[in-house]
Amino acid sequence: MARWLGLALAIVLWEILARLNAGSFVIAGPIAVADYIYMNTGLLGRALGATFQAAVWGFLWGNLAACCLACLVVLFPRTERVVNVFALLVFCLPLVATGPILRVLYGPGAGPQITLAALAVYYTSYLALLVGLRAVPQSWMDLVQSYGRGSVTTLLQIRLRASVPYLIAALQIGAPVAFLGAMVGEFTGAERGLGVLTLRAMRGLDVDATWAIASIATAVSVLAFQVFGRLGDWLQTDRPTLLLSAAQTKNGPAAWQRVLTAAAIALLVVVVWQVLMDVFGLNRFFAKRPADVWTYLISGSNATAARETLFAALGQTLWLTFPGYFAGLLLGAGLAAAVVILPGVAAAILPVAVALRSVPIITTAPLIVLALGRGSLGTITIVAVMIFFPTLVACLQGLRQTPGQVHELFQTYAASRLRLLRLAQIPAMLPAFFAAARMAVPAALLAATTTEWLATGTGIGNLMALTASTSDYNMLWSAVVVLALIAMVFYMAVEVVEQKVLAVYASEQVRR
Amino acid sequence: MTRRDIECVDLAKTYESPSGQVDAVAPLTTTFTEGQTTAVVGPSGCGKSTILRMIAGLEAPSSGTLAIGAETPLALARRGALSMAFQDASLLPWRSVEGNVALGLKLARKPAAPEHVRKLIHMVGLAGFERSRPAELSGGMRQRAAIARCLVSEPELLLLDEPFAAVDALTRKRLNQELPRLWRDLGTTTLLVTHSVQEAVMLSDRILVLSARPACVVADLVTGSDAVSAQVEQALQEAA
Ligand SMILES: Nc1ncnc2c1ncn2[C@@H]1O[C@H](COP(=O)(O)OP(=O)(O)OP(=O)(O)O)[C@@H](O)[C@H]1O
Ligand SMILES: [Mg+2]
Repeated sequence: MARWLGLALAIVLWEILARLNAGSFVIAGPIAVADYIYMNTGLLGRALGATFQAAVWGFLWGNLAACCLACLVVLFPRTERVVNVFALLVFCLPLVATGPILRVLYGPGAGPQITLAALAVYYTSYLALLVGLRAVPQSWMDLVQSYGRGSVTTLLQIRLRASVPYLIAALQIGAPVAFLGAMVGEFTGAERGLGVLTLRAMRGLDVDATWAIASIATAVSVLAFQVFGRLGDWLQTDRPTLLLSAAQTKNGPAAWQRVLTAAAIALLVVVVWQVLMDVFGLNRFFAKRPADVWTYLISGSNATAARETLFAALGQTLWLTFPGYFAGLLLGAGLAAAVVILPGVAAAILPVAVALRSVPIITTAPLIVLALGRGSLGTITIVAVMIFFPTLVACLQGLRQTPGQVHELFQTYAASRLRLLRLAQIPAMLPAFFAAARMAVPAALLAATTTEWLATGTGIGNLMALTASTSDYNMLWSAVVVLALIAMVFYMAVEVVEQKVLAVYASEQVRR
Repeated sequence: MTRRDIECVDLAKTYESPSGQVDAVAPLTTTFTEGQTTAVVGPSGCGKSTILRMIAGLEAPSSGTLAIGAETPLALARRGALSMAFQDASLLPWRSVEGNVALGLKLARKPAAPEHVRKLIHMVGLAGFERSRPAELSGGMRQRAAIARCLVSEPELLLLDEPFAAVDALTRKRLNQELPRLWRDLGTTTLLVTHSVQEAVMLSDRILVLSARPACVVADLVTGSDAVSAQVEQALQEAA
């Protein structure tokens, strides 16, 4: 009841804001949006149908891939290192640039949208499943082993079932993300779908249409999020807090060994890339090989010019991504901590934040650009907003991890709230915070590049849009490689900081 | 039939942990005779569970040898001839009591036998709770379900790690009367870890009293005479 009242209040507020800003062509109120939807039901319905279908297929494929990878790693732990790096690398591929390449590889159809939706969801599911498959008490594994049964039986009888709550939590997060992935796929040149309508509305400066589409995308995402929440309730699974733990850090191998493994994996990636292209006999004009990118960026005659263009654009993008990234993280964690000091507020904020977390920020990017303009502030805000909600939710959940006994222990000493926060709750929050910070790296780059692609006309997002339309596939592939590498380097950098910090403040959380 | 005695020769276990080495079991040489029930008693943390885990093949001995007849523990387990009740009941929370007991058959690669499963659930006093989930049971009820899971596969070797710790006195008494009959009929070799001297005397043919960590045998007694209880008590006093 209170929830519906809140919703009604928000809608009224939205309408009032729209009325106040009438004439500025920034905000379309709920009445205008409803009117637009009513007038264009057929068009919007068909577009929604196309996007929804692509999202569902991508969601299924992405999760299937995640399941296979996680089972592989659990059955053959030795593969973990390689699988992790591959999984991360694929996760770090810049979706906006991958879109046009997939477009030429697949030809017409929904293939690229589906693939992007799958790419967007699979990594979270993979990490969640890995945690879930392993979150099994030793005694259950002993039980299976005491009957002389092996790891396959453990997987089938114990691990798979035990990981269901984790899988559902991941599916819940993944459902809106799949929708987002499908829309990003459509931004890069599909025939149908909400993404296509978004582009059209933006180019035509059609405020009503932009708001209507963003509202629909938001509604669908929130709905998908709720549906999986209900599914979890219905299956009566407990809802574990998803702490996507750091990739394994056996403190075994020496530095030179790790460098060697990294080099081996890099070589493997190059080989796989080459072999994939050759096996499918893909045209060299648009399906570039590792050697092409090398020639284009390093050894070719125009390499210097190409590098300059690429890195200048990259510089512009990173210059906006970083402030947004840190602002999002700090605001998310800060608000989470503030909320805890004020008791009761957390309980009220968490459901709202969880719901807002599922809003596909990218689809609201056009709105933010409408409001804040095409300058740097708009981009920074979009990046920050994109990261803010997942961080807030993760931190609030992390804060709730502080065991009840610890609270009571502090109470017996009459410790102040601030002291409790500093000594018990923030350490409990740190693992969740860093997990969010890691996952936010590719998300931040995605937000920045998509905004550039759609709206601002600067940075590497714009460069990729240009090269995609002029069929400059050398530059496009180079951009993909460089962006993926950068995302990976930052992801790993966050991981290093994470391990250093957790080793001090939450040593029991560092997996050895 | 070949004899399936459990032969331990200089069996020892040292745990390597980040905080250093822990000697859990000092070299232990003994034979557990086929078909006999042996109770293992000793102070907490002395290495009783470790001995059972080594015999179950869950823990590799640091030194010494262990053979069950001509077989290794793993070979025995693969035949579905070994089952162990763990100190915590280790029931799977998503399976009902019935499902958990039936799991004992499944893991032992034996055909499903719903009737047999139900009979054992009755025997451990859980009639009416067949469809309950472990979360709906008390600690003692969970332990009884775990005992039923152990027995359902009719193992040749039964390892029970404090299976009655949380079971109430009355049920315990009833189980103490019924279980020996059951494993005598099956010819099961049983190792039972317990903290209750009375129970050890009642259930077993032989009592092994262990010292504080690292475990070594301080007394090896055959039950039957009235003096055994007192002897065990005294040995335990010395061990502590
Ligand atoms: N995995 C392990 N790593 C390191 N040390 C261990 C491990 N398991 C057991 N120990 C140590 O070995 C010793 C014996 O443990 P064990 O569980 O066998 O004792 P126990 O006799 O069964 O005790 P209790 O009666 O309390 O169950 C203990 O001191 C324990 O600290
Ligand atoms: Mg024990």
